[in-house]
Amino acid sequence: MSIFEIIGAVFLLIGSIFLFLGGLGIFRMPDVYNRLQAGTKATTLGGMSLILGVGFLMVETNWAWMVKAIIIVIFIAFSNPISSHALARAMYKRKRYPIITSKDENMDAYREVNENEKKEEDA
Amino acid sequence: MIYLILIFFLLILMVGAAIYAVVQKDLLYAVIATGVISLVLTVLFYILQAPDVALTEAAIGVALTTIIFLITIRNTLRHEDEYSNKDKFKSPTK
Amino acid sequence: MRKFLVILILAVLGFYLFEAFSGLGLGFPRFEHGVKDYYLDKTVSELHVANTVTSIVVSFRGFDTLGEVTVLFLAVSALGSVLYKRRHDVGSRSILFASSGIVRSGSKLLFPAIILLGVYIFIHGHLTPGGGFQGGAIIATGFLLMLLAYENFRVSHHVLSYVESLAGIIFVVIGLLGFIDGGTFLQNFLPSGILNELFSGGVIGIIYVMVGFKVAAELTGLIYSVLHEKD
Repeated sequence: MSIFEIIGAVFLLIGSIFLFLGGLGIFRMPDVYNRLQAGTKATTLGGMSLILGVGFLMVETNWAWMVKAIIIVIFIAFSNPISSHALARAMYKRKRYPIITSKDENMDAYREVNENEKKEEDA
Repeated sequence: MIYLILIFFLLILMVGAAIYAVVQKDLLYAVIATGVISLVLTVLFYILQAPDVALTEAAIGVALTTIIFLITIRNTLRHEDEYSNKDKFKSPTK
Repeated sequence: MRKFLVILILAVLGFYLFEAFSGLGLGFPRFEHGVKDYYLDKTVSELHVANTVTSIVVSFRGFDTLGEVTVLFLAVSALGSVLYKRRHDVGSRSILFASSGIVRSGSKLLFPAIILLGVYIFIHGHLTPGGGFQGGAIIATGFLLMLLAYENFRVSHHVLSYVESLAGIIFVVIGLLGFIDGGTFLQNFLPSGILNELFSGGVIGIIYVMVGFKVAAELTGLIYSVLHEKD
């Protein structure tokens, strides 16, 4: 067992743990934003780790796997957070506001701006 | 064996999503369910060693068809019940 | 009377369907001595194409592919004629929100990568899985991303129709050249090259690139006319 295979196995383990936590978070979290946070962060890191792990496992047989894995990782790093951001923003524009348990009134300062924007559009 | 279990699970998921898409009155959810069918079908095609068909299904079934249905829903009405009431239905171009 | 007519038509249809399917012998290998071995053999030995599916779709059944592309063209033009409205029809609400800066700059970065993936898939159609249809659909999703991110993003319908008709004309011209050279439509008239190289397989690569351009132009035009009904 070479050093690359051990690194690849560790990456695969990290990726599986992240994906499991992401799946758990989608079930356990109370509202949309928390679920998005759990789902996207976990799938971004988990998917990147899994693909890097596969690249490390195959790097001795064929180094082209590693190059392809890095390209896919860059693609995931761009696309996944952007899609999550777009989903969260769409929910906020639809006035599904996050659940806030804190007493601090400035916790969701953007809400007022959002309400006013909507009124201006309607007027 | 593990492949058989995986294929069985995916088939059950597909049938469930199809039934949900038919039963659901909210058309947005129904469209998302059809997207899920296409997604599962992509995985199935890949497992059954047809990567060409899987690529087609991924691009057309998951992305393009779902988006076109979503735009259509955005332009018309979202709930199935609203279509029975003809007076409510107004063309979005008016 | 009407119900009786319906039942009669259904009975006739059912009878012929039963007749058709009863002769099929479902569940038995029908192509045991058929064309399967011929295709698998000739794909590598004569056409020098690594992907058997591509050789069947483009070479052995190339005429069917031409028909498929024509059907897609007809569907898209029918949709365009249904959605067509005059330009000075005013008063409609825009169906798009303004998207945020993150989405805009992100899709500007991702758009070339998606186009590159699509082009890669249809150029390597005879070597790796995929081909003209797949690559064209992926390019169309790239345009869809830009159209959703930038509400002012415009695609010229003239350019799309020129690209589409040019690709279709080249497809037919290649088929006719094969007719002149070898006696059958879409006969290979270019050197076959070496197996597993980019320039191999004769006309198959060129035809798949043309199919890719055609499908990409058609699907992009479809999305564009659905999204922006006004122009």
